[in-house]
Parts: sequence; structure tokens; C-alpha cells
Amino acid sequence: MTRKDWSQSELVECVLDSVRQLLAVGADFNPQSDLISAGLDSLAVTQLLLAIEDRTGIWVDESRLTPDNLRSAETLATCVYEQLAQA
Amino acid sequence: MNSWRRRDDVALTAADCLLRSFDAEVRRFNGASHLSQLVLRLGAGFDVDRFRALITAVACSTPILRAPVRRRYRVCRPTYRLGSVGDALFPAITVHDAPLAEHDDALVPEIFSARLNTRLEMARGELLRFDIVRYGTAAERTDLAMTWAHLLLDGSGSELFLRRIDDCFHGPGPVADLRDHDVDPPVLSGLLARLKKARQWRDLMARINAAPPHSLFGPRRRVAQALNYDVLTLSRKETATIAQRAAQFAGYLTPMPYYLAAAIRAHDAVFRARTTDPGHYLVPVPVNLRPKGTGRAVFRTNISLLWFHVAREHVDDFAELVAEIMRQRRDSVREGLIESALAGMDLLRVAPARLHSWRARRGLGGELASFFFAFTNEFLPGMDTFLGAPIMNGFHAPSVMPSPGSSLIMSIRDGRLNITHIYQRGAIADDERLRMREQLLDDLLGRASVSEVLRSSG
Repeated sequence: MTRKDWSQSELVECVLDSVRQLLAVGADFNPQSDLISAGLDSLAVTQLLLAIEDRTGIWVDESRLTPDNLRSAETLATCVYEQLAQA
Repeated sequence: MNSWRRRDDVALTAADCLLRSFDAEVRRFNGASHLSQLVLRLGAGFDVDRFRALITAVACSTPILRAPVRRRYRVCRPTYRLGSVGDALFPAITVHDAPLAEHDDALVPEIFSARLNTRLEMARGELLRFDIVRYGTAAERTDLAMTWAHLLLDGSGSELFLRRIDDCFHGPGPVADLRDHDVDPPVLSGLLARLKKARQWRDLMARINAAPPHSLFGPRRRVAQALNYDVLTLSRKETATIAQRAAQFAGYLTPMPYYLAAAIRAHDAVFRARTTDPGHYLVPVPVNLRPKGTGRAVFRTNISLLWFHVAREHVDDFAELVAEIMRQRRDSVREGLIESALAGMDLLRVAPARLHSWRARRGLGGELASFFFAFTNEFLPGMDTFLGAPIMNGFHAPSVMPSPGSSLIMSIRDGRLNITHIYQRGAIADDERLRMREQLLDDLLGRASVSEVLRSSG
């Protein structure tokens, strides 16, 4: 899959799937669930960005990550989507 | 489980064994221990008698707090021997009374830093102690220092421990066992996988050993441990500025490279003043391996290490230095160096305690690192009181080995950044400490220092 092939909903699934592999989240964890309260910390966010890079081929620079776009899998996927669009 | 290990033994983690090795080294030269310390500065309302009763109850229900740390038959991996607690000492609590006028927000009682140079007999289960300074006739202010054998708790674990104690204070039921024996640091399954990772760690160490670091104290390790520390607490406004800059430079959730870059340049300012060239900086940074979001694993050090190796040409420009550290951090996580450090340390658990640090020093030309560093982020976030007394401030002060002899530990309490500088006496002169502090503040706050202006103007 090339970079431009990703839809926003696919990216949400991609982020959600990676979060589920990294964090001990319950079955009720959904795209709107809070990432920080689920245990996303400095190491986990780097591992998450690397997992996203493995799948999409794009590295999201840590300095782009604000409290707003780290709020949920959905907002993080939007950030990735914007970076993909610019790439 | 090792068949020689009994059911009531709790194994030391890989990082515990490294810290036990440090303990063996400092013990050899002046009988001190490798300790860590957490300080709480409290307002009115702290009841020492209730605290004493609570700690006694917790120590009864939580045997790891006074379990001898030993090797069974002198050859097995070292363990906490919970079945041998018996008459082991309860955590000591020493109370000192002082007039209210002696209380100073900017100064920590000398007894606290002096405590870092004393000894706790781990083999006898002496693992934890408290020092309390009560100010004023009605204890209007109280300073509390919790000092422990460094391997009993790491920084996050010590905060979890205080939370659990406070929960016990407010809870209606009896004090429960606070340990989490079912939570072990994640070690790779399969011997071959572990050996492969350990080889990666050995190769990394070989690369590091090829260019040994230089610390402020130098490679002289045959000296008595004589640590002191001071704490700088910044205002909320300054801290907000720093946090904003850290997020801009390094990211909202990953600010560590920003603080480490400032710490490296602060040390570099001292080397420049001495007109000595350390060549490069080598700094190990602890990585918290607790299960995410669970608040579990209170005891033992649940960490791995990431090594940052920065050539001096990267140090001149602060932004470039932050970017270099971010790059190294990303590459290290990508290459699995966190797991390889864990696997390497894990294999060394069977080695005699002194062998760890002896090997490291031998490989690194007598020094372990350029300095030690940790940024632990929020200190006891969301916890406003401890046993009913308001928490006015709090910070960590872990020991640093006499060589490298300098350690910068940073955390944020209630919107204010605390910078603890722990140093071996003789490693750094008073004017050098001031120079280090100025450089640190210049970088953290984004101020152009005089030396910077002079450098850039040629």
C-alpha cells in the first residue's frame, strides 16, 4: 500500500490496532478513548510512532504531537493523515 | 524458577543487580550504601505518631520492606528472602525538632543529604528509613525524607509506595501487602532470543568502550562516597515557559531530550571553564518498564537503560543537540536496545555483585558515564496531601557513584520544576556549580548566556 492509499478511517484502525498491541487496554477501548489515561507515555508513544511508520512508511515527528492530537486514536490518526497528505 | 529458590524468595530484577553492584563498590571504600531518597516538604497537620504506627503496620503486612537480600548458598541469583524476615528491623523513623525560623523553602536540611552517605545493611533486611524534621512548636511545617537501598524502589516505585501508604491512611480496612510479586519486568521468552539480544547489548558496550567517557570527578573510584545535593525550584511561570519550549523542541509526551540536552550543556560549561575537552558525552537514561496504565509493580527497579553518546560538536548548538538526542532515542527504541540492555543485565544476575561495576569500569577506562541523569516528569501528580498534610513540594535525590560524581535529576511538582544536583564532594567547585546552574537555566528558559553571545560573535 502506498502512502496516498490510506484513508482516514483505515488510519484510525491502524492506530487503534497498534495501541491495543502496546497498552493493556480493555475491550471497551475505542477510537475516542483517552490515550494518556490508557497509559500512553514517552516510551509507548515512540513505540506507537514506530509501529505507524512500519505500516504507513511515514514518521510523525514527536514535536508535532500536541495534547490535542494525542487525545485519542482518532485525533492521532488525523495528525498522521495530515502528514501523509503533505508528504 | 530456579529449583534452589524457595517459594517465598523474590528475585532481584536485572537492574536491581546492577544497583547491588554499585552498593558493593561504595561499601568497599567507606562502608556507605548506594541509596536513593525522596523528600516531601509538608505543611501543617502531619502527625508523626500516626505515621509511625502506619509504617509499622505496613512493614508487618509487606515483608519485602525488611527482607534480607542475599544469595542462597552464595551461588544462586540474589533474592529478597521473605521467609527470613523474622526479627528483622522495622524501618527506622528519626524525628528532629527545629524552630520554625530554620525552615527555608530553598534549603533542604543537611541531615537529608548526609543520610545518603550512611549504610543500610541489605543482607540483614535493613532497606528503608525515614528522617522527619518538625518545624515550630505546633509542627507548622514538616520535611520528610524517605531513604532506601536503591534497589528496593525506583523513582516511580517510590511515588507509588507513598500513594499506597496514603491510601492505607485514608482506607477503612487493615493494611494489605503492598507488593506486586506477579509483576516482573518484561524479559524475552526463550534462551536463544535472550542470548541474541544480550549479544546486541555486548556489541553496544564494545562500541561505547572504544571511546570511554570523562566525568567531572575523573576515574578515581577508590575514594569514600561523600555526596551532597542542592535543589533548585523554579517558579510556575518559568516552568510553564520551559514545558512549552520542551514540547516545541521535543514533543509534548517526549520532553526528556530537551532536559538531557540542557544537562549535557550544563556539564560542558564546567569542562569549558576548566579548559578540558571531554571529547564526547556518554549518559545512561533509565526507561520505566512498568505495565502501562496499571499503577502496579511498586517494589524493585523496573527499568532498562538507554545510552546516549553525543560528540562534542553537537553540543555547541542547543537545538541541534536536542535533535541528535531525539534521533538516538528513536533509533535505540527501533533497534530494540531497551530489550537488549535488559537481556544483557539479566544474564549478569548470576555474577558476583562486584563483577558488574568492575567490568563496566574496566571497559570504560575507570568511569561509568559522563554523569547520571533522569527526568521523571510529574512528581506525585494529583496527590495534594500526604497523611492529611498539604504537600508543599517534593523531589527525588538518588545517589550518584563517586565517579562520575555528578547527577542531575528533574521533576515537576505542582507546576514547578525541581532540579536536584547530587554531587560527590571534590567533583565540582562552588563556582563551577553556579556556572552549571546558570547554563542550565539559560538553556531551559531559552536565555542567551554571556558565553553564548561571546561564542557566536567570535
